[in-house]
Amino acid sequence: MARLFVRRRDGRIEVRLNDDGRAVAREAFGHVYAAEHDPDHDWHRTLNAPIDPSRDSDDPLAVLARQTETGSNAELAIATLHEEFLTDAEAWAWLTTLQVSLRATASTRGIFDQDALAASDPELLDYIETLQMFLFALAEVL
Amino acid sequence: MPSVKRLRETSTDTATSIATTVRTERPWNVVVWDDPVTPMKVVVVIFKKIFGYPDNKATQLMMTVHHEGRAIVWSGSAERAQSYCVKLQVAGLQATIEQDSN
Repeated sequence: MARLFVRRRDGRIEVRLNDDGRAVAREAFGHVYAAEHDPDHDWHRTLNAPIDPSRDSDDPLAVLARQTETGSNAELAIATLHEEFLTDAEAWAWLTTLQVSLRATASTRGIFDQDALAASDPELLDYIETLQMFLFALAEVL
Repeated sequence: MPSVKRLRETSTDTATSIATTVRTERPWNVVVWDDPVTPMKVVVVIFKKIFGYPDNKATQLMMTVHHEGRAIVWSGSAERAQSYCVKLQVAGLQATIEQDSN
C-alpha cells in the first residue's frame, strides 16, 4: 500500500492523499469543529467527557482549555486541508483532530468494544477503517 | 480539670491535622482507558509527545491499556494531572484523573 504521509529530508511531511482522501479528512475535521461550537451537536457530549468523574463538575478552566485546544487543532487542520506539505505542528493538529473524530464516531454509534465494532454496518466500518488508516500513516511519520 | 481538657483538645487537633495532611498528599493519577478503535501506534505517539516518554515506556503503557483496559500513565500533583488529562483528551484519548487510593 502506498504511504499516505511521507517525512521528507527537509523535515516537512508530504501529504499524498487524493481528492477522495482529502474529502474524508475535511468531513472529519468539520465535524469536530462544529461539535466544539454547537452544544446540540451529536458529538458535543463525547467531546466533553468528565476529567474527574468523582466530582459533580470539572474545573471550568480545564474545560475551557480543552475546548480551546480542540477547536484550535480543528481550525488548523481545516486551514491546511489542501496543503501538499505539513509542518510537525500541522500534522499533529491533523492527527489529534482525526483521532477525536474517530472516537466520537465510534462512541456516538455505541461502539464501545470489539464485538460492537465487528457488528457495525459495513459503510460505518469502512469509514472507521479509513480514519484508522490515516491515523496509522500519520503516526508513522510523527 | 481544665489543664487535662486542653491537653485532650490539643491531642485531637494534632490527630486531625495529621489525617488531613496524609489525605491531601496522596498523588493524583492520570488514567487512560481502552477503546476499540484507536490504533495502538497512535497511542504510543501521543504518550511520547505529551509526556516525553521514550518509545519503550510509551509502548509498555499502551500495551497495559490494551490488555488491562486501563493504565495509570502519570502520577503527581492534582494540577498537573488535570493538565495532562486535558492534553490527552484533546489528543482524542479517553482519559480521566483519580486520587491514588493508597
